[in-house]
Amino acid sequence: MARIGVYVCHCGLNIAGVIDVKNVAEYATKLPDVKVARDSTYLCSDSGQKMIKEDIKKHKLDRVVVASCSPRMHEETFRKAVNEAGLNPYLLDMINIREQDSWCHSEEPEKATEKAKVLIEMAVARATHLDALKKGKIKAAKSVLVIGGGIAGIQASLDLANAGFKVHLIEKSPSIGGRMAQLDKTFPTLDCSACILTPKMAEAGRHPNIELLTYAEVENVNGFVGNYDVTIRKKPRYIDEEKCTGCGECENACPISMPSEFDLGLKMRKAVYRPFPQAVPNVFTIDKRGIPPCRATCPAGVNVQGYISLVSQGKFKEAYELLRKFIPFPSICGRVCFHPCENECERGKFDDPVAINAIKRFVADYISTQEKEKPKPPLKRNAEKIAVIGSGPAGLTAAYELTKMGYPVTVFESLPKAGGMLRVGIPKYRLPRNAVDEEIQMIENSGVEIRTNITVGKDVTLEELLQQGYAAIFIAVGVHKCRKLGIEGEKLRGVIPSLEFLRKVNMGKKVEIGPKVAVIGGGDTAIDAARTALRHNAKEVLLLYRRSREEMPAYASGKEEAEKEGVRLHFLVSPKKIIGRDGRVVSLECVKMKLGEPDETGRRRPIPIEGSEFIIEVDTVIPAIGQSLDTTFLPKNVKLSQYVTIGVDQVTLQTNLPGIFAGGDAVKGKATVIDAIADGKRAAVSIDRYLKGKDMWAGREKKVSKAEEIPKVGIEKKPRQKMPLLPLDQRLNDKEVELGFTEEMAREEANRCLACGGCSECLECEKVCELAEVINHEQKVEEITIKVGSIIVTAGCEVFDAFLTPELGYGHYTNVITNLEFERLSNAAGPTKGKILCPATGKPPKSVAFIQCVGSRDKRFCRYCCRVGCMVTLKQAILVKEKVAHDVDVYICYNDMRAFGKAYEEFYDRARQMGIKFVNGLPSEVKVSLNDSLCFDVYEPNTNKLLEIQTDLVVLASGLVPSPDFAKLQRILRIPRSPDGFFLETHPKLQPLETPTRGIFLAGACQSPKDIPDTISQASGAAMKAAELLATGEVGIEPLIAMVEEDFCSGCRICESVCPYQAIEMKAKTVKGEKKNVAEIIAAACQGCGICSVACPARAIDMQHYKQEQILAQIKAAVQGGKRR
Amino acid sequence: MPQFEPTIISFLCNWCAYAGADLAGTSRLQYPPNIRIIRIMCSGRVDPIFILEAFKSGADGVLVAGCHPPSDCHYLSGNLEAQKRILLLKKILLQLGIEPERLRLEWISASESEKFAAVVRDMVMKLKRLGPSPIKNGDIRAT
Repeated sequence: MARIGVYVCHCGLNIAGVIDVKNVAEYATKLPDVKVARDSTYLCSDSGQKMIKEDIKKHKLDRVVVASCSPRMHEETFRKAVNEAGLNPYLLDMINIREQDSWCHSEEPEKATEKAKVLIEMAVARATHLDALKKGKIKAAKSVLVIGGGIAGIQASLDLANAGFKVHLIEKSPSIGGRMAQLDKTFPTLDCSACILTPKMAEAGRHPNIELLTYAEVENVNGFVGNYDVTIRKKPRYIDEEKCTGCGECENACPISMPSEFDLGLKMRKAVYRPFPQAVPNVFTIDKRGIPPCRATCPAGVNVQGYISLVSQGKFKEAYELLRKFIPFPSICGRVCFHPCENECERGKFDDPVAINAIKRFVADYISTQEKEKPKPPLKRNAEKIAVIGSGPAGLTAAYELTKMGYPVTVFESLPKAGGMLRVGIPKYRLPRNAVDEEIQMIENSGVEIRTNITVGKDVTLEELLQQGYAAIFIAVGVHKCRKLGIEGEKLRGVIPSLEFLRKVNMGKKVEIGPKVAVIGGGDTAIDAARTALRHNAKEVLLLYRRSREEMPAYASGKEEAEKEGVRLHFLVSPKKIIGRDGRVVSLECVKMKLGEPDETGRRRPIPIEGSEFIIEVDTVIPAIGQSLDTTFLPKNVKLSQYVTIGVDQVTLQTNLPGIFAGGDAVKGKATVIDAIADGKRAAVSIDRYLKGKDMWAGREKKVSKAEEIPKVGIEKKPRQKMPLLPLDQRLNDKEVELGFTEEMAREEANRCLACGGCSECLECEKVCELAEVINHEQKVEEITIKVGSIIVTAGCEVFDAFLTPELGYGHYTNVITNLEFERLSNAAGPTKGKILCPATGKPPKSVAFIQCVGSRDKRFCRYCCRVGCMVTLKQAILVKEKVAHDVDVYICYNDMRAFGKAYEEFYDRARQMGIKFVNGLPSEVKVSLNDSLCFDVYEPNTNKLLEIQTDLVVLASGLVPSPDFAKLQRILRIPRSPDGFFLETHPKLQPLETPTRGIFLAGACQSPKDIPDTISQASGAAMKAAELLATGEVGIEPLIAMVEEDFCSGCRICESVCPYQAIEMKAKTVKGEKKNVAEIIAAACQGCGICSVACPARAIDMQHYKQEQILAQIKAAVQGGKRR
Repeated sequence: MPQFEPTIISFLCNWCAYAGADLAGTSRLQYPPNIRIIRIMCSGRVDPIFILEAFKSGADGVLVAGCHPPSDCHYLSGNLEAQKRILLLKKILLQLGIEPERLRLEWISASESEKFAAVVRDMVMKLKRLGPSPIKNGDIRAT
């Protein structure tokens, strides 16, 4: 038989105003086992507690039920009280008749009273089953994690560190300092924010007990009070934090400018940067945002953004050197590359893509006018020699790369001159031969041996090359055989395959063509052939293509220029028969086509229209419908692909024969120059690995990561530079048609680059950094784990985005700024060096209007008050008067002025005395007046007047909002947030610094918006709380854990599998003479959730203080108690 | 005859739903007093036996409320366990002749006082429409 005392609290009128407390207490006296029941005005007061204590002794009570406020508030208070009277604290049960009864049923007092009776009945039923429990103790780490390096985090860290605790201060940005670092002066003293903050920052930076973890984020937290295991992700700075001296040489060398986050985009910073000069740690950070789309798209992986950024700075030599690291043919590529990079250029989504290729060509042209350094022969020589067959772009690139690696390379070329298709395929008006000669010469200078007039397969066979000691062979021959039309009359004189035609012309041989030429095909070769024919005596050139203009694969500018020069394009036409007389072509029979369903290439299939045949008179027919590989030189055992090209492994380019590699046209059928270069580079890497016996496949996936789509707000539209062309009347010769950019054009165009990747990896910073191994562009994300006893969250807040109130003109009118932007303008280290100037005009304002409560106290956004806006505005208004001129008209349009802190009202007074005009009302819309100043109307209810205000500058007092990072922190730390989105304290008055998760504390604006004095006080308070918790190196743990009835346990391990904390272990034990495996609870790890108890099929696990019999008794009382009445 | 007033037994987890109910009180939100709240540490502690016992004792409805999935749960995965168990239990209730609508699982965070009050209001309204539980004196009522 239990002896229960029941105590019902009035809580002043909070409970008694609704519930008939006396009636409830009297009812309780009649309940079984209840020895005494009383009511009290304030049970939590000393006298209330005293009453309970006395009753326990007097009535020998062994259970106590308290009916009052939420146990989340005062359970600890009453547990202490009963304990002081000698009763085990866990023999108390507390029920909530305030938050969950009187307050939420205040309109139904009788029903609320009845509900209170049932709740007490439930508690009495439960109380009889309560057990006495003992708190456990566990060791606690004497270290604290502080999340957020603003003033709150800095203060909390310093206090704890000075008290002897180890502190890990983590900050996501490159420097600690937070919002306070951005501010100019602080209210109400008008002392400089930096003067207060920076000494504290420096102290935190050098304190032996503080470990700064900047540019880092918390990834995960496991464990429990006293023993939190924290995983931290350190973002790569690409600069060694320990070694960097902060000298800033790298910043000067960096070509990339990006908007400074610290200066809210009002100023630019470099891609290698330090947010502000007093940053702690005083080191630089390189901002990389991933591989830009241009670079990711380039088959050869050329660092496009890198050389473009260097060109924008006028560093042409550096740009050229960077280019040569990726490709040996900048000049050739700059002329003939089909530039897939430009198709992917982010700028193209905004206006036009950057003219990347033309810039590359400019760099190459610029360098060819300069004196060049002789390439130095490679330092090391490897023994294995390598043969390359074919001296086109693929072969020469491979040879060049392998020579750089130290291999002796011989290139075999069947034609009298090296260059392959570059020399005999592409016409001179597109690719002047001096460009080809120059770049091939450079390759030869680097040590590559080129042997011309040797046809492999005829003069020497592959096998013989191997016998001559070549350790590896790279086959890079071109496709010089034209595909046949497959129609009657192809053998007639006057039919010249396009490649043969181009080869002969390019080699200066005589080619006989008539005045009327028909070119058949729609690719680049067809266009080249047609334009070349025009330059060689043809009077009329027709180009016949079987599909329409849209499907034509030739590059756009080629098509355009061909038409301008006089080539006539005929679409949806296909040749049917070449008609001859005396063995010579006289005409061509054609048929009209229509487009059907798309074929496997995705283009619509052309279908002949029956009966539409017609004849055109021509004397020369040039088929240009594709090429094929001459495979006769290959040994029989080389495997071919289904397209009758050489079959290779797609990653390594090795053929089925070890040591024999192939690439370019020989593999792809028809490769572009950049594809061929890419293959050459790829083969070189494979051959090197092959010869060294290394894995040829490892780590060669194509880099696909693209820079996040960069915002295009604030970028001015600027058209792409147009390529200057040779006038039409000067064209019919070998002169290059595209004339190339001037220096000004190239720099102008390079400036259009959006720097998608942030850092362009031009590596200029490495060149100027005087210390060894400080800059490391290959740095990776680092994960570290630390153990802490407690965590303080000081994650700060964000500023309301004024774009969300477009009616106030932010983002639309340059002279509408936010109050944080004002701080930067007013700050001596800011973009205007502390001069308050209108951003649009750069002149000091003659009048300034401050608009209060932007986003705050606004049902659309934040219902709460930002708590700093009024004081910030008063401060800024005074600064305008003091810094600009005393006669500047300053208006403050407000809802209510809130000057509640120490010396705040006096500050408000000062502003009033300075003649600042206070308008009690907010404008609904900011507009531009006829004289170009800003204007708005405000209705002032006090005077019942509509005021019209004209002003030069509008400053918006933007509210404070929760940071988007809070969601992640909430999830990781398992702490709740209040409806406004800020972190929720356990109780606003009793436990304002605590979260419901023991050992995790809050300070600063992450809990709710607050000013600097409040933030610092709270931070010191939270530090004290953490210190109090960890001072003894031990923390008490609640005994609310699982317990195993070993007799029932069958060792099935289901509990072990559901436990989220690995708090259950199987142990071999002898239970009642029987040896078996039973579950054992690890008390320190068990958190008391109860999942295992429910999962146990044998009901062998129960939860202390939330036992099944306790809960069942509550349930029965809840229903039956209610039904009885 | 007085209008039928359903009795609802509810199990609220200490960290989210119980705190949400507290906030409803602090915010003076009004909802019908038909609900009897039992505080538990985690919705994963709710044994199907508790729910069956509630119905057996004559409750007209049972509300279980916990933290939002997937990751608000103070104990990592208790809410997901509760979800699985309650889904299954609803099927069993149907076989026992108890309308599954009488059992309700809700996710209510510490800040969702409005949601808590709305859930109680809605549940009381629906139970009134549904009528008293078919169980009387521990047995299914003959109909």
